[in-house]
Amino acid sequence: MDLSYGPRYEDFRAEVKSFLADNADRAPRMTMRVVEHSQEVVDWQKTLIEAGYAARTIPREYGGYGAEPDLLETMIIAEEFSAARVSQGAAGQGISMLVPTLLEYGSEEQKRRYVPPTVNAELLWCQGYSEPGSGSDLASLSTRAELDGDQWVINGHKIWTSTAVEAGMMFILVRTEPEASKHRGISYLLVDMDTPGIEIRPLRMMTGSSDFNEVFLEDVRVPRENLVGERGQGWQIGKTTLVHERNFLGSSALTEGMLAACRKTLAAATDEQGGGNLVHGDRLMQLEGRALAMKYHGLRMLTDRLKGRNPGAAGLITKLNGCQLNNDICSLAIDGLADYGILYRGSPHAVDDGAWQKQYMFQLGMIIGGGTAQIQKNIISERGLGMPREPRATAGS
Amino acid sequence: MDFGLSPEQELLRDSLRGWLADELSIERVRETLDNGDAGAASRTAGDASAMQGLAGQGVLGVMLPEEHGGAGLGLLDAVVVATEMGRALTTVSYHSACVSAPLLLAGAGSAEQKSSWLPGVSSGKLLLSFAVGELEERDGALTGELRFVPDTATADAFVVVSGNGSEARAWLVERNAAGLQARDYHNIDITRQLGELQLSDTPAEALAESDELAGLVARVSDAARVVLAADSFGACERALEEAIEYAGVREQFGRVVASFQAVKHMCAETFAELEPLRSLGWYAAFAWDEQRDDAARTVALLKAHSAEVSTRSVMTTTQVYGGMGFTWECNQQLWFKRVGYNRQALGGPVAERARALSL
Ligand SMILES: Cc1cc2nc3c(=O)[nH]c(=O)nc-3n(C[C@H](O)[C@H](O)[C@H](O)COP(=O)(O)OP(=O)(O)OC[C@H]3O[C@@H](n4cnc5c(N)ncnc54)[C@H](O)[C@@H]3O)c2cc1C
Repeated sequence: MDLSYGPRYEDFRAEVKSFLADNADRAPRMTMRVVEHSQEVVDWQKTLIEAGYAARTIPREYGGYGAEPDLLETMIIAEEFSAARVSQGAAGQGISMLVPTLLEYGSEEQKRRYVPPTVNAELLWCQGYSEPGSGSDLASLSTRAELDGDQWVINGHKIWTSTAVEAGMMFILVRTEPEASKHRGISYLLVDMDTPGIEIRPLRMMTGSSDFNEVFLEDVRVPRENLVGERGQGWQIGKTTLVHERNFLGSSALTEGMLAACRKTLAAATDEQGGGNLVHGDRLMQLEGRALAMKYHGLRMLTDRLKGRNPGAAGLITKLNGCQLNNDICSLAIDGLADYGILYRGSPHAVDDGAWQKQYMFQLGMIIGGGTAQIQKNIISERGLGMPREPRATAGS
Repeated sequence: MDFGLSPEQELLRDSLRGWLADELSIERVRETLDNGDAGAASRTAGDASAMQGLAGQGVLGVMLPEEHGGAGLGLLDAVVVATEMGRALTTVSYHSACVSAPLLLAGAGSAEQKSSWLPGVSSGKLLLSFAVGELEERDGALTGELRFVPDTATADAFVVVSGNGSEARAWLVERNAAGLQARDYHNIDITRQLGELQLSDTPAEALAESDELAGLVARVSDAARVVLAADSFGACERALEEAIEYAGVREQFGRVVASFQAVKHMCAETFAELEPLRSLGWYAAFAWDEQRDDAARTVALLKAHSAEVSTRSVMTTTQVYGGMGFTWECNQQLWFKRVGYNRQALGGPVAERARALSL
């Protein structure tokens, strides 16, 4: 183990610091929302890519900065941006999940066409995986696509599709090989959301907002070349996307931002709200300990990835731990506000306009979305620890 | 030894449960909520027919003296009622409207105050609310601000308390009193309305001045805490029942999800935490009713324990639904938020444990 950064990296750190000193005022305000696509965000994203602080290792021909992967540089950027509380750029489902998937499986044409506008935050994506009958058992999905000449014709019904309204494109899993086994019959397609036959119905979430949707697809025609990878390879590709999603949802960058905000909320709490409460301090330190463990765990996983090593079961825990941790941070912030903790957006006296309550619910959503906590535990124990699957159900015993 | 509800209390529970299912179902409650954003809900508390229906069930005046139209029963009976209201998401701030406010009036009000307000509480015609804060009194008029007051939008009068120990004073402030302004909060629990009051030289009728007032305020506040804990328990109990039902019909991987050990364990663990909470709630109410030495301490521990258990409980039962649990349409969110309100109101878990330590 070597944690010293050395002079070359300290120079790099100085560069990052000076970039932040000169540019931080142009950064969009840090919000706890996952998706943002204002002009401000797009401009900031452009600035970051030019300076090499976003899309850093994505090749230049695909709109990135084109640097060689370097763990310490990545770390230094994350550390300095986090310390300065400055946004590290856009992070929608396109950037976090689709781009790495396309870089791995996409055709040259797909990479050139879709990666640049996506990393620039100009093109937003949504993820069309879940269906009413297929959530945890995603491989049972029944939305189907049939080849008709040069086009795929899609029919089916997706649900819980986050940001379908805002998205320009959707990456979707569809059944193309009905005769093949459940996992082998799925393909991965890219769909323009403006294609005729797509109907989006927003669903109201427990937070009161409608950020996820039902998407109905009726004879939706998509060019043949929008197939990613091979026919029947969709399950394998889709799982790659899910791995990126899970690492993203549980990422310690997210946790650190929330922890910093929680610390601020507790520090600002008045006496009436139980400010300076030692027990809250103790809970905060517990959370910091957990967060720190996950941060260095993340560093270890990153090292494995950069060195092409398989981290094994230890690589499967990020989402399970990270999302629960984020939810617990929100819970502490709410407790730290005493009665004021129950005030919600639009209310007089609501601290941060009730953002903690909203985040508390949202982070519960993240425990469920992207594969529930229970499914994560199944994956850890079965795939990671080699334990057998549960036997088939029998009626009462 | 006989630890448990009496046959009368079981009857009260069953008949109220049946009545709520028929007359004030969650579907009906939702009709009044669905169009509002969080906090902007309309309230059954303002719905005269519902309040009269509840009065007809004899549940509004459970703890009030019989001479004023109440049932003259105890806190354990109120716990039975509050549990049902938590289950059914009844849009009444029962802890304040039917417990702390009228009980303080019953304990410290003049004969005239009692006879003009208490019968109306029992019959559902008058709605009282309870508020605590720092107020200044000048020539029988009050000035100041009272925060986190239930039912500011609909209460007919507020029983307000200011000062501690021997300095404690209490008054009755009527809704249309001069200089009284109410402001609505948006709290996460859309089934119960909360807000604040601004008083500027607002005429108020003092309750009896007495050295015992502070003790009485503490006692009625404890009763309200027990009721909030019962409300959370009821919410969680029903949320668990519905989750079990859903898991029994939702299929994934060719089997009902209830057949997965992970889902069964979530439900079993929740149940194993909820049942002792029910028992502790009953004991706290009994101790309060009997004015046992350990009553106040038990109440503080109950309030804290209830907060921890019920938060975990709704968090878990919501997860049993998968994505469906995250929707507005799913009832879990309503219990989730009800429990969230109960957790912070009248002392969060940390504050309550600190209180218990000092008792
Ligand atoms: C906020 C949010 C955003 C989302 N965004 C998207 C999106 O953009 N795109 C998209 O495609 N999907 C999205 N989802 C859907 C999400 O992926 C699914 O909700 C999730 O995979 C669970 O599926 P389900 O809802 O059908 O629940 P179910 O699979 O029906 O699960 C119900 C319960 O059964 C349990 N269960 C199921 N199978 C097993 C098993 N084998 N062992 C043990 N327990 C089991 C689950 O853990 C859960 O508790 C989102 C969900 C949420 C909450």
